[in-house]
Amino acid sequence: MGREVSESCLENLLIEIVSSFCTGFYVDKPELAARRIEAIGFQVGHQLSERCAIDQPRFTDHLEAIKFICKDFWSELFKKQIDNLKTNHRGTFVLQDNRFRWLAHLSVDPSLDASSSIQDPSAMAKNKAAQATGMHLYFPCGIIRGALSNLGIPCAVSADISNLPACSFLVRIKA
Amino acid sequence: MIVCIAVVGHQNNPLYLQSFTESDDALKLHHIVHCSLDVVDERVNNPKKSAPTLSETFLGLLYPTENYKVYGYLTNTKVKFIMVTTDLDVRDADVRNFFRRFHAAYVDAVSNPFHVPGKKITSRTFAERVSTIVKSFGLNSAG
Amino acid sequence: MQEYPEELRTPPVALACLVGCPDVHALITGNLHSLQPPINTIALPDFSKISVISKAAKENPAAGSVKPVGGIVKRDWLSKHRTRVPAVVAALFSSDHVSGDPAQWLQVCNNLENIKATILGRNIKLLVVVVTQSGSKYDTNEDRMISLRKHAEVDSKNLIIFVPDDPLELKQSLNRLGTACAELANAYYRDEGRRVKACLERKNVGSIELHIRYCFKVAVYAEFRRDWLEALKMYEEAYHALREVVGISTRLPPIQSLVEIKSIAEQFHFKISTLLLHGGKVVEAITWFRRHISYYRRLNGAPEVIFLHWEWLSRQYLVFAQLLETCSVTVQNLTTTVSIPADKQTEWEFYPPYYYQLSAHYLKEKNSYLEFAISMSEDVGGIDGNVESVVASVYVGQFARLLEHEGTYAMQALTDDEYVRYTLAEGKRFQDSFEIIALLKRSFEAYNNLKSTRMASYCGVQMGREYFVMGEFSNAKQVFENIASLYRQEGWVTLLWEVLGYLRECSVGISSVKDFIEYSLEMAAMPIMTNNAAPSFRDCCPAGPPSLSQREQIHKKAFGLVTGESGTAPSENNGLKVNGDCPLYLEIDLVSPLRVVLLASVAFHEQIVKPGARTMITISLRSQLPLNVEIDQLEVQFNQSECNFIITSDQKPRLAAISHVHPDRRVETAPTLELPTSKWLRLTYDIKPDQSGKLECIYVIARIGPNFTICCRAESPASMNDLPLWNFEDMTETIPTKDPGLAFSGQKAIQVEELEPQVDLKLDSSGPALVGESYILPVTVASKGHAIHSGELKINLVDTKGGGLLSPREVEPFLADNLHVELVGISGQERADHSEVNIDNIQKIQPSFGLISVPFLNVGDSWSCKLKIKWNRPKPIMVYVSLGYHHSSEPSSQKVHVHKSLQIEGKTAVTISHHYMLPFRQDSLLLSNIKAKHDSDHTPSLALNETSNLIISAKNCSEVPLRLLSMSFDLEDDDSFIIQPKEEKFREPILHVPGEDFIKVFAVIPMGNCSTLKTGAVSLEWQRDSGLGEGFYSCSASSQVTKHRLPDVNVELPPLVVRLKCPPHAIVGRPFTYSVTIQNQTELLQEIKYSLADSQSFVSSGPHNDTTFVLPKSEHVISYMLVPLGLGSQQLPKVTLTSVRYKAGFQPSTTSSTVFIFPSEPPFQVTDIGETRFVSVTE
Repeated sequence: MGREVSESCLENLLIEIVSSFCTGFYVDKPELAARRIEAIGFQVGHQLSERCAIDQPRFTDHLEAIKFICKDFWSELFKKQIDNLKTNHRGTFVLQDNRFRWLAHLSVDPSLDASSSIQDPSAMAKNKAAQATGMHLYFPCGIIRGALSNLGIPCAVSADISNLPACSFLVRIKA
Repeated sequence: MIVCIAVVGHQNNPLYLQSFTESDDALKLHHIVHCSLDVVDERVNNPKKSAPTLSETFLGLLYPTENYKVYGYLTNTKVKFIMVTTDLDVRDADVRNFFRRFHAAYVDAVSNPFHVPGKKITSRTFAERVSTIVKSFGLNSAG
Repeated sequence: MQEYPEELRTPPVALACLVGCPDVHALITGNLHSLQPPINTIALPDFSKISVISKAAKENPAAGSVKPVGGIVKRDWLSKHRTRVPAVVAALFSSDHVSGDPAQWLQVCNNLENIKATILGRNIKLLVVVVTQSGSKYDTNEDRMISLRKHAEVDSKNLIIFVPDDPLELKQSLNRLGTACAELANAYYRDEGRRVKACLERKNVGSIELHIRYCFKVAVYAEFRRDWLEALKMYEEAYHALREVVGISTRLPPIQSLVEIKSIAEQFHFKISTLLLHGGKVVEAITWFRRHISYYRRLNGAPEVIFLHWEWLSRQYLVFAQLLETCSVTVQNLTTTVSIPADKQTEWEFYPPYYYQLSAHYLKEKNSYLEFAISMSEDVGGIDGNVESVVASVYVGQFARLLEHEGTYAMQALTDDEYVRYTLAEGKRFQDSFEIIALLKRSFEAYNNLKSTRMASYCGVQMGREYFVMGEFSNAKQVFENIASLYRQEGWVTLLWEVLGYLRECSVGISSVKDFIEYSLEMAAMPIMTNNAAPSFRDCCPAGPPSLSQREQIHKKAFGLVTGESGTAPSENNGLKVNGDCPLYLEIDLVSPLRVVLLASVAFHEQIVKPGARTMITISLRSQLPLNVEIDQLEVQFNQSECNFIITSDQKPRLAAISHVHPDRRVETAPTLELPTSKWLRLTYDIKPDQSGKLECIYVIARIGPNFTICCRAESPASMNDLPLWNFEDMTETIPTKDPGLAFSGQKAIQVEELEPQVDLKLDSSGPALVGESYILPVTVASKGHAIHSGELKINLVDTKGGGLLSPREVEPFLADNLHVELVGISGQERADHSEVNIDNIQKIQPSFGLISVPFLNVGDSWSCKLKIKWNRPKPIMVYVSLGYHHSSEPSSQKVHVHKSLQIEGKTAVTISHHYMLPFRQDSLLLSNIKAKHDSDHTPSLALNETSNLIISAKNCSEVPLRLLSMSFDLEDDDSFIIQPKEEKFREPILHVPGEDFIKVFAVIPMGNCSTLKTGAVSLEWQRDSGLGEGFYSCSASSQVTKHRLPDVNVELPPLVVRLKCPPHAIVGRPFTYSVTIQNQTELLQEIKYSLADSQSFVSSGPHNDTTFVLPKSEHVISYMLVPLGLGSQQLPKVTLTSVRYKAGFQPSTTSSTVFIFPSEPPFQVTDIGETRFVSVTE
């Protein structure tokens, strides 16, 4: 993999995407903005996974594919692996990154409780800071979903940022 | 000589199919590629226990037919590559090598941001690259 | 495989020969045949026939003749060894003859010599059998026997005494004979094999042909011995040796030489495959087959007879498929366990259909080459008649001309030229298409069974092509139709193009215009963009190569046909025509492959609309046809047919022929109705639905020309599927409507709201209902702006808590007792004029549902009715009343509904409680009270024959004042339980305000001595206090009765009764008597202890502390004289009594031992109320 991109550029781009969707195109419709950002992430993940999986042996089950996401794919994206992977063996996986790079430079008002799942936009509306952070997580969620669906695993991905800068992604595989 | 190379998508739909033959059996090659999907299904869904190729992307010889040998390759993203050759003595290593180069070309083609995943590959660059790879097939082994 | 001779197809069976004694032949033959392995027999009745098996005069193979070898393997060699050359000759002699007179003996010896002479040349083994009767078994002449053995030169075990007439002996002899035969046969084949092998090993075999022949023979001999390994080895050697012959043999002309070699190779290969497969070595067999094919498929032979090569190849595949099929059971077991060599077999090679398919393929190949060869030969000048006399020669794979010359036949070798002509003539005689179809069908079915639909489809395509070539269009069509769906589904455009091309031609063949147009349109709308198809696609489809130009051509042809203005000559249409007599009507639904031809997406701009209001509808049409399509007329059809409308084009005058549609339809015009290729044609119109409910666009019908109609089912843009086939194309997506929001959410259906009702429906609530009464709920219907036609009032009672109105455990719904609340009646207000009798005045009442028809009301009129609802239990309910009516007398007019609901609480009006009290200053000792003191809910105990008080209290729980009318008792038994008064009707109704308790006291005297005495129930009659809302409740003025059941009481005879007696009041300083009477009601002497506590307010005289005995059935009075000291209400000195027998104490209660002390004589009459009341109670 010869080509690399500037991390700060990428981070700025992500911030710009989020802000233009949330405050530009879809001011009053956070759900729509979230969907569009997720869709961008989906295509990025879809195409990146194609490249990352090129030298991998074929995955025979879901777990192998998830492990690939945790190790190779994550390393490719963030130069580190997922720190902790949990599963209930019934199609739900929790991928935890103890220091998620794209949240590392995000400042959050510490007085506000940032514990909110981004899956529920209505609950989020109460908490501006969590909402802003949550918006930044649709993109990585989309990346994971895109990568997995390209590997033949349709799923739903949500993120949880209850204790920053750790971030955990919840993957629910559709039966 | 490779007479046909195909990329087949998730739903067993052809994404790219190019034949390299002057004779008038191009349609037959379509049939052969289509039939070979049955073998791919069979091999992936009912793998033999002893087979070492359990999780290999290279599926090996799918089946020999009248004048051709059909080889298969299944990527992790459930995209199938099918290659049809007229050579009777083909070395596995050559085929593997071929598929590896082809896979790289494919990945470059679908990573194009203007390519919509799941649609046919219409990139001319890809077609050129493929024909180069096809032409160079077997040259190393001949020498 | 079936065309192979029997001796080749089945493993060889040893052959024995029986001579002499024909009467036992059947026995022996049967026995030998049933052996394992079996032995076939030739039975010769007498010794003169022995020459049958004698060796014909021919060259001795061992001698290595100088004569050139005629061929490789003789055609009849195998059958000769199976039917004519025995391994063993069993000479049967009768024991009579053996032991008979010298003449007979001489005969025996002669015969034996003859046989020996005959078999000598072939090394056939001899077995001597002496047939004897069990009776004369021991009569045999021993010398003669020995002599016989000597003559025959056989071992003693090969001289068998055969006893046919004793079952046991027969069995033994048969066994011995069988064993000997088998052994000798084995020995014979072994010896023969060795002999031939020895020749081979000496390497002095004259030619390679002989070498092959000897190998073959050794292999066959080994097969006779069932030595499969040896047989396999020798066959393989023969096979390899044969390959060396290829190309070097000059014995025959080259064409025939190759034919011979291939025929023999075929035989050898067949044997080898059979041996391998039956030995379970499937992988080896398949490998062997591959090698066999890969070697011989290159030996095409001369170009003029190349079809023979394909035929041969086809046969190889067919035979192998059949072999594989016959031992497919073993295959299944083996494929999983087999270790795969480097050049491993693929899945399909283990399954027969793979070989059937290739066999068909090569047969097809043969067919085409044969046709070519025949056409060539005809050019040369035909085939002369010489071929008739050509027959198969004595050698396998050779042919010769049979010449008849003065009664004798002679074989003459053929030249290659003659041979070619012969094969062509033979080839002409057979029609291969049926064969090909049969093979493909087998393959098709087998692949389908293996769930390999794609493989099966390919076989199907080939099958269809073959049918098509044969002109069986309906068969071909059927086959292709099945396949087309798979190709459509998986988007294999080129394959679909081919199949559709055939289908299109088949439709012509069966003259089906509709099919022809459908397939044409589908083809024309396929996603093929290349303009110049690859040259490699030429001639492969009947519709030409898949290309844009071809699509356009098909498009033009189809539309030329349907519009009738065909520039194409009628001959080109093959008799297909569309005109006024046979118009064409196509229907396209959501799953039709023709969706690409015309897709109609319909979206309403709103989701809900008021009746009569206008809304917009956008109809978007799209076609993937390669050329623009001019539509003459569009009709949009809805589920409400009044909304249907027609769109015609501005540019084109309306065609007269298609104006036959409904005359009063709305007609819109559009600037153009030309449908551009791959673009949306969007038409927006307004629409005014009148009827409420769902308005859904069903069809969009396009008329093109006078006789062509496409009826396209409308689709909602929100739930529109991708276009089939085109969804894999990389093209920019377009949306059916301009507004993207509408494209994502637009629906083809709209909800039309109901008409605003202009009628008031009023429910007059009058507060809560009371349980028991018939609650009257007035309903008023007042028309404000609508006249009411055929109105209907529906009433529903629903439990507000969601449960039913029935108690949950009760099942039968119509038992009134179980109903908590029921609708008991609806009374309609009679109209002023009784003249109008409403016939259809339906009225239906069920416990929780009612239906009543409302008479015609003019605008401004009103009508009311009263619902009578009865509560049996307290329960809140919802009353739903809905009025449905037509606002005009037209039956078609819209029904309008008004709904009203009201919650009504059902409440208990009165709750009644009761308790018993003992009379004042009297107490009975009730034993059951002592025992069951702790029980809280024990039945009250009453003293027998003593008077007790029953206090009934009724509480008004409702929120309205009630009037109490009467109170009465329903007693179970009037004699055993006396209540006074039994019934009391209040002189005037007692007003009973909410929350108030109404108390009434009754005296009861239980008369029956019974542990649990059934008492009865108390009924309170009441009615609503109608003092305020007079008149409205005229119906409810009827009184209701609330009942309360009195519990059972325990009645017993008290053993002791204590009465206190003192005046109600006293005066300071004036003494009075205070007495305690103890009545003993038992037959026993009762010991009573008693004591008197001192009191500061009184000075007392009398016994303070004592024990007394009360005699049975008598009274004892303890009396005190008291002088009061204090004033006011004073406690009398406390008397405590204790019954020793019952260990029960008695202390009078504080109330009963209180007396009021006046300072002086009070100024009132002495007849005080307390005293009278006491009296009245006791009396």
